[in-house]
Amino acid sequence: MSTLGKADLAVSISEVGKRFKRHTDRRGSLKELIVRGRAKNEEDFWAVRDVSIDIPKGSVYGLIGHNGSGKSTLLKMIGGIYRPTTGSITTDGRVAALIELGAGFHPDMSGRENIQLNGSLLGMSRKEINAVTEEIIDFSGLSEFINEPVKHYSSGMYVRLGFAVAVHMKPDVLLVDEVLAVGDEEFQRKCFDHLYALRKAGKTIIVVSHGLGQLEGLCDEVAWLEHGQLQQAGNTTDTIAAYLHRVNRDEAARNPNITATRPEDDRAGNGVVRVTKAEIVSAAGEPINHAETGATFNLRVGFDVSESILGPNLRIALQHDTGPLVSMISNHAVGYDFGTIEGEQLVDVAIEGNPLLPGRYRVHIDVFDYTGSTLLDTWNDAMEFPVRSQSGEIGQGFVQLPARFTRH
Amino acid sequence: MLTDLYTQRALIWAFANRDFKTRYRASLLGWGWSLLQPLATLVVFAAVFSMVFRVQAPPLGNGEGTSYAAFLFTGIVTWNLFSSFLNLSMTQLKASGDLLKKVQFPGWAPVLGASIVQLVQVALEIVVLMGLFVWQRNIGWSWILAIPILIGTALFAQGIGLMLAILNARFGDVQYIVAVVLGALYFLTPILYPISMVQGHNVLLSAVVKINPMSWFVQSMHDVMYSLTAPTWWVIPGLLIGGFVTFWIGFAVFNRASEDLGEYL
Repeated sequence: MSTLGKADLAVSISEVGKRFKRHTDRRGSLKELIVRGRAKNEEDFWAVRDVSIDIPKGSVYGLIGHNGSGKSTLLKMIGGIYRPTTGSITTDGRVAALIELGAGFHPDMSGRENIQLNGSLLGMSRKEINAVTEEIIDFSGLSEFINEPVKHYSSGMYVRLGFAVAVHMKPDVLLVDEVLAVGDEEFQRKCFDHLYALRKAGKTIIVVSHGLGQLEGLCDEVAWLEHGQLQQAGNTTDTIAAYLHRVNRDEAARNPNITATRPEDDRAGNGVVRVTKAEIVSAAGEPINHAETGATFNLRVGFDVSESILGPNLRIALQHDTGPLVSMISNHAVGYDFGTIEGEQLVDVAIEGNPLLPGRYRVHIDVFDYTGSTLLDTWNDAMEFPVRSQSGEIGQGFVQLPARFTRH
Repeated sequence: MLTDLYTQRALIWAFANRDFKTRYRASLLGWGWSLLQPLATLVVFAAVFSMVFRVQAPPLGNGEGTSYAAFLFTGIVTWNLFSSFLNLSMTQLKASGDLLKKVQFPGWAPVLGASIVQLVQVALEIVVLMGLFVWQRNIGWSWILAIPILIGTALFAQGIGLMLAILNARFGDVQYIVAVVLGALYFLTPILYPISMVQGHNVLLSAVVKINPMSWFVQSMHDVMYSLTAPTWWVIPGLLIGGFVTFWIGFAVFNRASEDLGEYL
């Protein structure tokens, strides 16, 4: 699968499995051992199974998957905190695990004293710690409080100190588990800058995160785990897209499709036209429960016309659930004419390359006559549908305009 | 084993440092508290056993009568070294459980760190004991032999402590069983009474006292500190070797059994 030699790998995970014993009763009592005998009420549970991943030196590698998919267990095995039940993991160089920042800090000791303790826990010698203590204090930005007991620190300060210690132990492989979501904006940026600097220096970084957008910008490669098994590994964009596709599909299976039928007693206008139904469907016409940014979908509107009329003006208003009107779609505006119609009508309005950014959108439907001045029917709050991201990128604002850059 | 201890010395030291600094940080008397408990035991037991049960201490090494209090305190100091190592090892490993789930480090490091701090307490008690003997003008060169005896006691206690700690991590009942056994063992060790009192009385009892390893450590301390004599030549080397072997076994057992420690603590 990989053409890299062993020497180019920072971490080589080969057919690794981790089995936990699930205890159905209070564990660890002698009574249990004597009365029931061993292993009777223990069930095996594989948190990770048959996973093989090669992580090249100097790369940033992401692990994604649902909660409980085994990614944190895998990270702990790379860090040596858990032993694999089957298979083997070889790591090249010093591994630092940022599983929890500031693990082992003692509340009654000062920041400076805790640097000593935490540094030794991470495997640094006293000489190494002394050499970088000032650098750590500087990086954490806590020089004012460094001689105060850490119990007086805010949680943000606590984490800053922990991160500062961990990255200054000069690891060859850094394991990061969801810890970057803490600290203020400025410190987060500092952390990322430091991670980039580490990567530039040829260090390997393995990140577990649910922030897919963050990972996409950071990782060279990504592995996706599901129920402890490797689903896909390699190219970041492809793997994240495949993962999101699965997430969206699973959610589609759980959530009903977005379709609304208008109640009989909801009437407006003169009764010549009555909108009866609204739903969203895929480009292929399949009912769906959400739209995706960048992917064409259809707004489908059904209405009854009781007597023959000249082509009416159908207007669909999209309102963001925070209030603003995002767009008013009108057949007149795009130059579509229904012609003379009568009876039951079903209309698909294709939103090409859906420019709507992720969020929830409310739909209001109005029908005017061919002049566009007389209101024939109106259905407020016909339906509401969500737009989700394909890539993990959320974006800002409401729409992604089809922008094109030219450099002169 | 020695290389393990050497490479992890910074970590053991860091744990010891943490425990030392935080042990009595918020209390007024500080380390004074650590002396209060053995001194209170001494006063109560000295009163009860010398006045109520009329236990006779052997003659002091300086030939000037006897001192039950000094005899008793010698035994208590030695016993406390043993029992505190056992208890600390068990509680310290349990307390490190959360950390072992997050960071990879050997589980014996915090245990040994706690024991190092406990040695400070033992040293304080020894100073008080020496003060007691100086006051009674019972001083001798044999005191130097207390050093190898205490080292043997500490190694022996740590070896057993490591094994109990790992057992207690798996089965929470162990610490309660240990409390009961230690309570009984206390009376089967010549602390409250001189060993001569059980010899010849009851064959079974004297045999039990004799096999009890703690009797050997306590009796040797009585010899060198109280009676100012050296035990038979092979006793102290025997205690040192016994202590080292027990520590070595305890360390090996701990390492063997602690491979998945982070999962079940």
